[in-house]
Amino acid sequence: MDEPETLGSVLKRRGFSRRSLLKFAIAMTSSLALPPSIAPLMAANLARAKRRSVIWLSFQECTGCLETLLRSSSPTIDSLIFDFISLDYQESLMAAAGTAAERTLREAVAANKGEYLLAIDGSIPTKDGGVYSLTGGRSNFDMLMEFAADAKAVLAIGTCAAYGGIPKAHPNPTGAVGVEDLVTNKPIVNIPGCPPVPEVLSGVLVHFVSFGNLPELDDRKRPLAYFGTTIHDQCYRRPFYDQGKFAKSFDDEGARQGWCLFELGCKGPVTHNACASLKWNSGTSFPIESGHGCIGCSEPDFWDKGSFYTSLAGGSSTGWRNAGIAAAVGVAGGAAAALSARRKPGSESAERDPDKPDLDKQP
Amino acid sequence: MTDLSSFSDDGLVDALLMEVAGMLGRLIDRGETATVDLRGLPLSPACISDLEKRLGHGEISVQLDAAGRSEIHETGFPGVWWTRHCDEAGRLIALLIEVATVPDILRADPADLADGLQRLAGATHFASHRHARHA
Repeated sequence: MDEPETLGSVLKRRGFSRRSLLKFAIAMTSSLALPPSIAPLMAANLARAKRRSVIWLSFQECTGCLETLLRSSSPTIDSLIFDFISLDYQESLMAAAGTAAERTLREAVAANKGEYLLAIDGSIPTKDGGVYSLTGGRSNFDMLMEFAADAKAVLAIGTCAAYGGIPKAHPNPTGAVGVEDLVTNKPIVNIPGCPPVPEVLSGVLVHFVSFGNLPELDDRKRPLAYFGTTIHDQCYRRPFYDQGKFAKSFDDEGARQGWCLFELGCKGPVTHNACASLKWNSGTSFPIESGHGCIGCSEPDFWDKGSFYTSLAGGSSTGWRNAGIAAAVGVAGGAAAALSARRKPGSESAERDPDKPDLDKQP
Repeated sequence: MTDLSSFSDDGLVDALLMEVAGMLGRLIDRGETATVDLRGLPLSPACISDLEKRLGHGEISVQLDAAGRSEIHETGFPGVWWTRHCDEAGRLIALLIEVATVPDILRADPADLADGLQRLAGATHFASHRHARHA
């Protein structure tokens, strides 16, 4: 059997020079917050890289995550990288259906046992034996546990897969949970966001293809390069926050002057994501740039933490209260509180997991 | 609405220039190259514009066409380069200050050199055959 082709040979055949690959590596090291000096090594590794199998299962989800990822800007080499990810199973995208699709899945798992990446979007319902979301008659839980067992790592794509997301919102009728609540013996990368920033997924994949491992993660299993700082840390309106200049309503003079949206409920100070640096729609803008505060969609239980329009400094936003009050008293206090919130997920997860999985209970 | 891109912070620009000066010193003393990833810093467009203006423009400008256009110019300070990489859609994918005698990406890669030699040898072989046929 022929050796699988390397990315370097594919690039050469398609007329790309090594400079193109180095340029791509420079862009990716920037995106992954790796030292720029590592770009030549990444380019060399990518040139030698071979295809990696990805099996993507969609559970209790709205398909927004997949839609976003499909609509990410795709410069040519990015597209090639996606060629180097062999997406062996994805129900919404694949042509095969029914038993043919199931056979494809089995064959991909058998051929790449222990080496494939398992990508999940959507939460996993656990109440009543997981009956609320089935594929081919099998519960999401059964499929997750079976296919995670032979995966090299699991990517939880979107807030639903990472933390349960909107299906888990109170009163959580289906007992929805995130991947990490069930899979405990595999490396997991959480890429939260509703939807997640597409470039974060490409960054994780490029890191995996070029270095054979996952990027550095924070204590919530999120890629540190993209989730290491808050939206507020990276926000171009931050100088107005520091100067105490706040919009008081969406149509006042402050709003027209583009002042900080903190008092209008912006959750940027307690939300970890890369929206402010990577932006959306091919780098066009992000919600704050469009005049609306961050709603904190990449944080656990964002839906249940009170109004999007209540300031972190007070009101009935109890879910955000601790970090919010600290953020309101000053920059250093806010950053420290945000850091503290990030480093102590246990207390929050205890609070957010009242619904114990009851998979043993059959319908 | 105020153009937020016009907000610039002189202190931040000064701090960056001092960092670049330190890097240039290390290039001179130890031959150490360095890069500042400007997109990784919370800089407003006005800050970036100020920085670019204060670094100025030197003798060399290069345009690179490799998976999209890149523009590289030496600033008014020899060894300090302003590099702007765009993808094929024209979107900015990297904005760097590079401190080096020559930015790495401008050097021909050994693999590309070997490939070029092979193609050149093929072309000259073809040319000599054609010449022999017409002689």
